Amino acid sequence: MNTLIDLGGGFASALEPVSLAFALLGVLLGTVVGVLPGIGPISAIAILIPVSFGMEPVHGLILLCGIYYGSMYGGSITATLIKTPGEVASAVTAIEGYEMARQGRGKAALATAAIGSFLAGTLAIIGLTFLSPVLVQLASVFGATEYFLLMATALLLASTMSAGSRTKALISIFIGLAVGLVGLDFQTGLPRQTFGIDLLSDGIDFTIFAMALFAIPEAIRNLALGRGAKETIQSFGEDKWMTKQDWQRSAGPWARGSVLGFIIGVLPGVGPSLASFMSYIMEKRVSKRKDEFGHGAIEGVAGPEAANNAGVGGAMIPLFSLGIPGSATTALLLFVFTMYGLQPGPLIFREETGLIWTIIASMYIGNVALIILNLPLVGVFVKLLKMPKEILFSAILVLVVIGAYAIEFSLFGLMMLGIFGVIGYLMEKGGIPLAPAILALVLVPLLEDNFRRMLQISGGSFAPLVTRPVSLSIIILMVLGIVGPVVFRWWVSRRKLLADVTVS
Amino acid sequence: MSTHRADLFTGCAVAVIGAVYYIATFSIQETANIVTPRTFPAIVGIALIVLGLFLAGQAIFRHRKNTLAEVGAGSSGSAEVRGDVQRSAASVRESSDSDDADGGVGGVVLEAPPEAPARKIVFQFVLFFIYLAILIPVGFLLSTAAFLMGLTSIYAPDKWIRNLIFSVAFAVVIYVAFVYGLAVYLPVGILG
Repeated sequence: MNTLIDLGGGFASALEPVSLAFALLGVLLGTVVGVLPGIGPISAIAILIPVSFGMEPVHGLILLCGIYYGSMYGGSITATLIKTPGEVASAVTAIEGYEMARQGRGKAALATAAIGSFLAGTLAIIGLTFLSPVLVQLASVFGATEYFLLMATALLLASTMSAGSRTKALISIFIGLAVGLVGLDFQTGLPRQTFGIDLLSDGIDFTIFAMALFAIPEAIRNLALGRGAKETIQSFGEDKWMTKQDWQRSAGPWARGSVLGFIIGVLPGVGPSLASFMSYIMEKRVSKRKDEFGHGAIEGVAGPEAANNAGVGGAMIPLFSLGIPGSATTALLLFVFTMYGLQPGPLIFREETGLIWTIIASMYIGNVALIILNLPLVGVFVKLLKMPKEILFSAILVLVVIGAYAIEFSLFGLMMLGIFGVIGYLMEKGGIPLAPAILALVLVPLLEDNFRRMLQISGGSFAPLVTRPVSLSIIILMVLGIVGPVVFRWWVSRRKLLADVTVS
Repeated sequence: MSTHRADLFTGCAVAVIGAVYYIATFSIQETANIVTPRTFPAIVGIALIVLGLFLAGQAIFRHRKNTLAEVGAGSSGSAEVRGDVQRSAASVRESSDSDDADGGVGGVVLEAPPEAPARKIVFQFVLFFIYLAILIPVGFLLSTAAFLMGLTSIYAPDKWIRNLIFSVAFAVVIYVAFVYGLAVYLPVGILG
């Protein structure tokens, strides 16, 4: 009951004109960055962090959250019409969606993606509304041991459940940890890993690191590629929207995608991209029309698109109620919260009730806005794809530089940006994923702090890890997180489910 | 560069970085706490060394396995051709069923982004660093307009009028928006 009253209060302030305007701006910007290949929610949020310094916390957060879930919608447009995912979570949509568009069913693909996104997104926010207070209650018994374990689990899952090599994902995590440990030790005030450079004692700014890793390599690579062949944009003007059969075929995948995406989203360390990949595999598995997969099966669009939106809502749960980000993007949002002097977790629900519920209410509103904006405006968003590459990517580079300047106001900050840009490029070149490093960088201070407190309380003993009931449960979850994916990979390869999914 | 070679190189680089990082922890002052300020950095350094060596070792092991398969198959005159086929088949297999390669949990192997020539990448980075270096002394407006003009002209030299208009207009609009709209003061440099 209290939850509904709080949510009502949230709606009252989220519907105020200014909040509403920020929510709309957020989802619109989100759709745009989702549409544009090469710029995803992470770069967009990182670039806007310096801009949001001056905003009211609630407005800044509404805007940046809107970008996150808005980008999931936009990504499907690009995936369907030019076969290039606008962002990672829409990568599988490019398989079936593009085939559908080629067969003149582009509008149906876009519609099933948008409607599925809306339904799943809304269901996930309902889950967020009612599950967060429960988790907050549970979290009241959490001590340093549990927090340490949760963060370690998040990092571990981010590596075991990543889409590529686990060794490389782990390397990425440890690179993030290594960067995060540079600077003064917060407990003793001693400088660490500064290599004798005084300017490093403040540590490496998180926003600069995120922008450098996510925006610079992508922009430089695209600029270096030159003009290349023009992408053909599939036209969709004459197509029919969804037929009755399309609706029937989409309903199941929407429902399954929502549940799967939500569960995966809630898990610490796993983001919506994995949700859409798993949904695709699941739809293929349960479908009676397996032969249509790869040739424009609507289920392969409906399921993954529902799953990635549900995943975003799910990922907000550990962020809001425990203060633990599950993905690189939520890690950025956690950083934004702390930038405003707010600490997500049980405390924020008690002390900043108005703020947190306004943000949640704005997500309901944003989702409605997205479905209203999305379908009629597809034509406008597609025009964005015609923007010359050199203009888009050189503009992104300038925005990133302004962002870095606005944080440090120094040549040192700018050089850091450039150096980490090179590091990000080399990491990508070596096949090391970038997102786990961002997650690790945000988590390292909390991880170390809780680890120290745990050992201080126990007098140096590791026993609390297994003697406390909650921590023991987390350890069991952790083990499942390691064993589960191995079993899943084995199961998938045994059934040869993937043999014909491969896109060359 | 083949996947094996690239992984071998990446693994060695990571191990070296780990070693440097670990050595740097020796200069952290020791304290009497249970977990000293050195503990975490040392763990991270060692982990990087171990993971880097593991990646390199894995690459060598896979390469050996594939070479053996090639030798086994290619004893006739067309060995070379067959070897190539084997090699590409091996790399396909690797990405679909090996549990530590690109197959992954999702298992959906996606198109790799096209590779850009290394020379051009270096050139773009050099331009970017020049921009970073001159931003403060020269000022935002001039350096940004020059940087944008440079980048767009390399790309589309024929559209120089459009490039010029875009470069100047973008620099001015962003400057006005940040300085007057958001009160973020950008460097004025030689114009100030």
